[in-house]
Amino acid sequence: MYVIETQGLTKFYGKDRGIIDLDLKIESGEIFGFIGPNGAGKSTTIRTLLGLIFPTSGNGRIFGMDIVRETKEIKKQIGYMPSEVNYYEKMDGQELLRYSANFYGKDCESRINELADIFALDLNRKIIDLSRGNRKKVSILQCLIHRPRLLILDEPTTGLDPLMQAKFFDILREENSRDTTIFFSSHTLSEVQKMCRRVGIIKEGKIIAVEDIETLRKKQLRKVQVEFAHPVKSGEIECIGVIASQADENNLHFMFSGKMGDLLNNLAGKDIKDLIIEEPTLEEIFMHYYSEEKEHNKKDRRWR
Amino acid sequence: MAINTNLYFKELKRYRNFFLAWSISISVLIVMELAFYNIFMKEDMVKQMTTFFENPFMKNLIAAFGMSLDVITNALGYYAARNAIYIVLLGTFFSILLAGKILAREEHEKTAEFLLTKPVTRLEIVWSKLAAFFTYLLLLSVMILLAGSIGLEIFKGESVYRLSAFFVHSFYFFLLILTFGAIGLFLSLLIKRGRPITNISIGIVFGGYLIDVLSKATQSASKFGYISPFKFVDSGVLRPDYGLEWWRVLYFLGISLVLITLTFVIYKKKDILI
Repeated sequence: MYVIETQGLTKFYGKDRGIIDLDLKIESGEIFGFIGPNGAGKSTTIRTLLGLIFPTSGNGRIFGMDIVRETKEIKKQIGYMPSEVNYYEKMDGQELLRYSANFYGKDCESRINELADIFALDLNRKIIDLSRGNRKKVSILQCLIHRPRLLILDEPTTGLDPLMQAKFFDILREENSRDTTIFFSSHTLSEVQKMCRRVGIIKEGKIIAVEDIETLRKKQLRKVQVEFAHPVKSGEIECIGVIASQADENNLHFMFSGKMGDLLNNLAGKDIKDLIIEEPTLEEIFMHYYSEEKEHNKKDRRWR
Repeated sequence: MAINTNLYFKELKRYRNFFLAWSISISVLIVMELAFYNIFMKEDMVKQMTTFFENPFMKNLIAAFGMSLDVITNALGYYAARNAIYIVLLGTFFSILLAGKILAREEHEKTAEFLLTKPVTRLEIVWSKLAAFFTYLLLLSVMILLAGSIGLEIFKGESVYRLSAFFVHSFYFFLLILTFGAIGLFLSLLIKRGRPITNISIGIVFGGYLIDVLSKATQSASKFGYISPFKFVDSGVLRPDYGLEWWRVLYFLGISLVLITLTFVIYKKKDILI
């Protein structure tokens, strides 16, 4: 059984696109990255899963339960962290967390205090007086204290400083080691790279790829920078596999997905001062995916 | 019917100050009004004004406010007439404003994202919030009942009236504010993203009140008055046959029931946009 499973999940806001035909399968115990630019449909997906909004068509299940009909049962097992924290401003941290814990009928006092210590959070201050980062910490505690089996995190790191981010990731790994499944949405790939085993890429409301992080890395895409002794144009190197070539005075930057030997043969006779071949970041891999998909769309082919 | 006690008690706490401010102001106003009646009678101001009140224009004007000389010289009559202007208006404001925000505010302040991701169904949310609203509505009615009966007892002078008429009138008042609450609750759900409906609420209360006043002042418009809930409150407390009339009760309960039911139906299916 999948922890999250959707079939043809579609949401339109009137005529506006939310998500289209979303098929997702997330296994128990995995950390799944959900990646896409702003407005791609990440939050719409999450809000549909959580029953804040209702699907136009298609269906979804969490722990095998229907996201529309059995939403209360589902929520007993979920911790949700929103991208923008909006809590009752007049409550202090302690009151908000107790209020939250009471919905689960659990006594979470020791866990609240333990986590407040880890994140150095003062629970006696009112939400309205807290900085964005501190509100985010309250939100971290709020989603963790009742020991949920599934964490749904919507851009969880925005507003957290790197130190807190590291602590947060440590906690997430610890939760994950206790078999908690984590659904992690983000538009920054580098942070997903650190945490996730698999990622789904969403663009304009559609999932365009679901890949293992490792597979992505092994797609043999390389980032190449060549410094020539003379000014160059973007078409300087003609070799199969050169993508997105850009010239900058003496420098030529491009992605390369062809045979390395071909590239080296091609470069051999040229006046080269420096050559850097490196592994691209996931960011760059995805940018490449996006542009590739665009190309394919032009040719009316669907890339998956 | 399923009330989530965690949510219910938190709602009571959230609106406690709002309730206290309104209910204490209204109760104090009631007692002050009745004290003023006492002074007004003792000083024989009324007798000096008899000729003034008998002028046909004045007669119609004060009739519009549900008064006549006989009525306002009686403590309960005075209470019911003055009540209509201050207490009823303030009570309906309290009710429509509270009901108008108790559900919609979560959406407007985006805390719905917190609440709706907790293990609680939408129907439980509406029930719990309604329960908190009813609690305060009942408490307000009890406070007004106490303030009115104590005030009357202290300041009634030589007035003769039936205490049962006071209770019937107070019950109409309760039904009236309940109906305005149901209107507020329902309207607040129709507004996108739960924006506050304060201005609309004030318009509805004043509008309804003015329609009622105008319909009483002019014969030709008297039927027109029935589009206003205020018209259905019977203020003729001194009539010998004054009592609860079922069609009035059914009117208030009917409207409230329909609007509250619609609230449940709409909220159950509504997309909560944050």
